[in-house]
Parts: sequence; C-alpha cells; structure tokens
Amino acid sequence: MSENRGAIGRRMLLGGAAAGTAMLAMPHVAGAQAKVIRVGMPTTLSGRIAILGTSSRTAIRYAFSRINEAGGIGGRTLEVVDRDTKGRPDEAAKITRDLINNDGCEILIDAESSAGSFAVHEVVRDIPVLCLHTNSETSSLTADPKMLVKHAFRCARQGVHDAVAGGVYASAISKERGLKRWMTCSPDYAFGRDNTAEFLIFAKKFDPGIEVVDQIWPRLFAPDYTENITKILQVKPQAMYSALWGGDLVSFVEQANLYRLFGNLTFFSSSLGDPPVASAIKQLPQGIHTAYRYNRNYPAKPANVAFADDFTKLAKHEPTNWAWQNYVACEFIAEALRRTNGRTDPTALSNEISGMELKTAFAVDEAITMRASDHTIIGYPVPWGITIPAAPYVKDFVPVDWAQILEMEQEWKKDKGFA
Amino acid sequence: MRRESLRDLFIAAVALAVLLVLPVLFPQPALRDFLVYVIAYGLLAMSLNLLVGLTGLVSFGHAAYFASGAYSFGLLMQSGHFSVPMAMLCALAGTALLALVIGAICVRLKEIYFSFITLAFQMFIHSIILTWVDVTGGDQGLRGGIPRPAFLGIDLSQAGTLYAFCAVVFIVCLLIMRQVWQSPFGYTLRMIRDNPARANFLGVNVLRMKLGIFVLAGTMASMAGILMALFVSGAYAEFAFWTMSGEAIFMIMLGGMQVFLGPVIGAFLLQTLNHYVTIYTEHHGLVLGLVILAIVLGLRRGVADYARDWLAARRTTREAAALEAKPAKKAVS
Repeated sequence: MSENRGAIGRRMLLGGAAAGTAMLAMPHVAGAQAKVIRVGMPTTLSGRIAILGTSSRTAIRYAFSRINEAGGIGGRTLEVVDRDTKGRPDEAAKITRDLINNDGCEILIDAESSAGSFAVHEVVRDIPVLCLHTNSETSSLTADPKMLVKHAFRCARQGVHDAVAGGVYASAISKERGLKRWMTCSPDYAFGRDNTAEFLIFAKKFDPGIEVVDQIWPRLFAPDYTENITKILQVKPQAMYSALWGGDLVSFVEQANLYRLFGNLTFFSSSLGDPPVASAIKQLPQGIHTAYRYNRNYPAKPANVAFADDFTKLAKHEPTNWAWQNYVACEFIAEALRRTNGRTDPTALSNEISGMELKTAFAVDEAITMRASDHTIIGYPVPWGITIPAAPYVKDFVPVDWAQILEMEQEWKKDKGFA
Repeated sequence: MRRESLRDLFIAAVALAVLLVLPVLFPQPALRDFLVYVIAYGLLAMSLNLLVGLTGLVSFGHAAYFASGAYSFGLLMQSGHFSVPMAMLCALAGTALLALVIGAICVRLKEIYFSFITLAFQMFIHSIILTWVDVTGGDQGLRGGIPRPAFLGIDLSQAGTLYAFCAVVFIVCLLIMRQVWQSPFGYTLRMIRDNPARANFLGVNVLRMKLGIFVLAGTMASMAGILMALFVSGAYAEFAFWTMSGEAIFMIMLGGMQVFLGPVIGAFLLQTLNHYVTIYTEHHGLVLGLVILAIVLGLRRGVADYARDWLAARRTTREAAALEAKPAKKAVS
C-alpha cells in the first residue's frame, strides 16, 4: 500500500504532461473582433536602459486611457500588452511572435532600441500586422529601401535628421566663435560611431574650417571617464561633440565637473536634452549646447505642457524623448483606427497611416507627417538649445529649417545608395 | 546493428512523431514557436554537455560557435548564391574549422585555464562581430532578414514547415550525439574526464580525443545557431556574448549533465520559466535566480540526474526487499 502511494503513476505523469502542453498552447485572449483592441509592446523593461521601456509604457498607457475615456474607437477600447525583451534581439523576435500569436495583439508598438527593432521588423515582415517602431533612431531602419515593410513605420526621431540639424547649429557657432580644433567623445559601438561620423560630415560641410584633432571612444556603460577627461585636457580642443547618452552621459558630466572641463570648452551633446538625464546630474553646467530630446516648453503649446504635467504625475519624472514618440505613435494608431472604423486589418491601417499628417502637440508647425516614401516621420522638433542648472534644464531653442534637413537628407541618401 | 542502437532509433522515431503531431493537436502558433526555441537552445546545451558532462571540459565560450553558425549561414543566404542546404553545410564546415583552430589551442590547457581561454576566444569573436560593421551589421545585427528560398519542395518561409524542419534536424543531431555518447569514443572521453593520466598511460591520445569532441560540440552548436537564425530571420551580436554561454551552462545545471537528455530538459524548464515569469514580472532575474537556487541547493544536481538517482535508489530498495522476502518464504515453506 505504501509503495502505491509513494509512486508517481505513469498515467498521472502523462496526464500532467498533457495538461502542461495544453496550458502552453492555450491562447490568452479571443479573436480578432473582440471589443478590446490589444496593442503589443515589446520593449526593454529591465537592466541599464529600463527607463526606455518604462517611460514608453507610461506614455502609451496615458494615451490609451485618454482615448478610452473619450469613448474609444467605434465602441472598441485600446489596451497595451507589454513584455520585457531584456534588450535581447532574439528575445524581441520571440516575444513579438508571442504577442501576435498567443496574446491576440492586432497592432504592435515596437518600443525596442535599435537592435531589437531590426528583429521585430523581420517578424512583421513574416506576420503582417501594423507595427510602429517608436524608439529606434538608426537611419537605415527606414532609409534603406531593402528594409521597407508595407505595414511597418517609424514614429521616432532619425539619426540623419539630428545630424543635419546638429551640423547646421554647431557650424554656425563654430564660424561665429572661430572654433577650429574639435574633438569627439562617444561610446564605442555602432550607434556612437555612426552618430558621431554623421554629425561631423554635416558640421564640416557647413564649416569646412573645422578640424578634428582627436577622437576618443569610451566603452559603453563605462563607470569611469577619468582617462578620457585627462586626454581631453591634454589635447585642449576648442570644441567637442559627444554622443554619450543616459547614465554614461550623467557619469561623464559629473566627473568632468571635477576637472572644470566645461569652463574652457564649447561642448555639444546629442542627448543632454532629455529631462531625466539633465535632472540626474547634480550640478548641470550652464551653457552646454544640446540637441532637443524633449522639453515641456518646446514646442510652446498648452497641450505639450499638459502632457508633461500628466506624464510627470504618472511616472514621477519628466517625460523622456521616448515618451513623446510613443504618445505620438498612439495618436497615429487612433487616427488610423478612426478612419477604418475600428478595423485592424494591417493593409487598411497602413494605407491610412502612410502619408498621414497628424495634428499633434509635438509638431514644430501644425502637423507631424508620416512620409509615405520611406515610412518615417518628419516635422518633429529638432532644435538645439543651451543648458541651465535648474528645470526645465534647456533654454533658448534654435529651430532648424526642415526644408534644409530634407534637402541634406536626400543628398545623404544618394551617397549611401538609398535613393 | 546493436540492440541499443535500434532502441535509440526507435525512441528517436517516437520523439520525432510526437514533435510533429503536437502542433496538429495544439495548432496555436505560440506552442510551435516555443518548441523551436527549446529545440535551438536545447541543441546548444546538449552540444555543450559533450564537453562538460562527457569530457569534463567546462567551456565558458561555447556560444561563439552558435554565433558563428548563425552569422555564416545568414551571410551566405543574404549573398543570394546559396541554397539553404548548401549554406547550412558551408556554415557547419566553417564553424568546424573555427572550432578546430580554437580547440587546438584550448585543449592543451586544463580546468579553469581551459574555461578562461574559451571565454577569451568567445569575447574576441564578439568584438569582431561588433567592430566589423560592414559585414556583420555591428550591434544592430544582420539587417534585411535572411532569405529562405524553397528547396526540394520545402518552403521554410512557412512557419509549420520551418518547425517540422527544425524538429527533424534536432532529432538527427540528437541521434548523432547519442551515438558518440554510447560509442567507445564516448567511453574514452569519460575515462579522460575521470582520470586523464590513466587514459594517457593506456595509450589514449588525450589531446586528439579532446580536440575531436571540441570540434563536434562546436559543429552541433553551430547547427543550433543556424536554426535560431532561420527562426528569427537574423543574427545578432548577443549570440556571441558570454551570457549566452552562461545560459547554456544554466540549462545543463538545471537539467543535469549525466543523463543524456538532461540539457534538453534544462532548456525546456528554463524557457518555460522564462516565458511565464516574463509575462508577470519585470523582476524575472530575481525569480529565475531563486528557482535555480532552490533546485541547485534542494536537489544538489540537475532535475534529470536527480530523477535517475531516485529511480535507481528505488530499484535498489525494491530488490533488497525482494531478497529479504525470499528467505522468509523459503523458511515458511
């Protein structure tokens, strides 16, 4: 008797295995015409860049709550289903498939960083659903015609646009102040190197007198920049460009403060304009030139201030660049759904979004346009400003003409063989 | 053919039939995707166990061959000059050559020195992937997708066909590894693991044996990389990062290293845990760590090893009880 009780029967084992398999196979939600439209969101919610995912998620939840409170779309409400990809592209691919196949998501907001976005892009090439990439700034994602996927769009700033804007702004200052000796300090990985190279191409184009005397490449997520700062002090450049971002930028600025680096150097940063980054620096130096990432005072529209207030209440910090991009993606999706009367057919939605001019609080003028030719947005804010030690951290924004950006972008595309 | 081989073939056929029938019984694509993942990672862990469990060589850099397979296959397919089978063969051959070169250096070292030099080679390959942007795409990975043109009427762009293809390749690879596991070569490797000096005195060329299994393990890992590249339609620098090798070691620890299928069981458990924990919390690292800690401290070996030992102990107890009962019966009669 005791033997029988102690043994695990084969039937029980097989039954357990079958139940486990059924559990794995069981879809979490019902079909396509459910009242709730589920929007899948693969993103990075853990690790050093978790703020990318958490601020994106807060923005999407906020946008959807506003849409749902206003009655939804054709009687259907929107719900975000987020999943942590841990910053791994293969995980992003698997999770994206899961979100579509298992969780019944009919639309995707891909809030991954660049490498993950390319993985998600390939999934939506295989499984057609409407997908908006909201955080990848790598130009080739949409600029390279080989990458074009009918149902995939980018609702995020783009490297080449920022490079032109940075080149125009920095060259004007370098000409005015006679800044000839330049140096760069950017993270040693593809984005850091590409971003720096593109910035220099356009800065030199507008001011051929610029000479790059040295370039240093600290490794990504480096904790100590003493060696780099000492090198800068030895080289004594007049101006410097840096594509450092996030926690790396915070560490660099704080350590550079100890050496009073910014006193004798005109510094240009691609990322100091993100309010959470600026606010994390204990003594943010005055007068650093930075690209716009987000600011509650730019574009100077009441709806932008309202967004900043509401977001800050929810997230307990100011919006990030990723926050406004994801919010605008939700606006694009909502508008497309309105036009299709709530139908989530990817072709119908893509046809509506392609070329759409969206009136939004974050447009430089009236609207941000989803360009039909390469499925990417234009008309979003790309000004540069200078830092101040207290909130809102950046002031005196100098806009850059989008007509000039588009002209330079076209030349760049021809050089790259993209046009 | 030996009886054991026939039994293995029969079990392999049954396993393949089960794998092929599962998506028919449960047609949800999520299950299919999950199983492809388990197949790819299971194959990686199984190949590593040829070194860790069978030979006693703890490699920290095994994912280098996983990445090598994925990248070489992806690049060959993107070139447009290769069919899927030809690209697979070339990727396998290329990785075998890479493993031969690296292995020729590594197998001369022992214990922790062996582990660290394999890690060093992996990080070297990872650095090459990151810096050779024109070819590998750097940290963005291979861009533009991996074409999967049909061959012999097999269209791998169909999810169901891709799954069946992965299942067949997986079972074939398991059979190959099983043959090695049970062969005189496999027993020689066990002897090297347990007492290399004795193996040497008996005339075994220890270095050559170690190199042989190193190349085979690398080639099998390469196959796993190819399957993953086919599934995600890309190859990424993360494939060659040390955490990928760490994950394979985790799978072996979780499943067990002495039972042949232990690593696959570990892969299944880790992927299942990962799948469900990620749905419900962002603190998946903490939860997974606790579960693994509980298994390692509670069972003190992998799940499959524990089950094997438990069954063996039970059998011994039963046999002892039966022996005790026999004299008693005799005494009664």
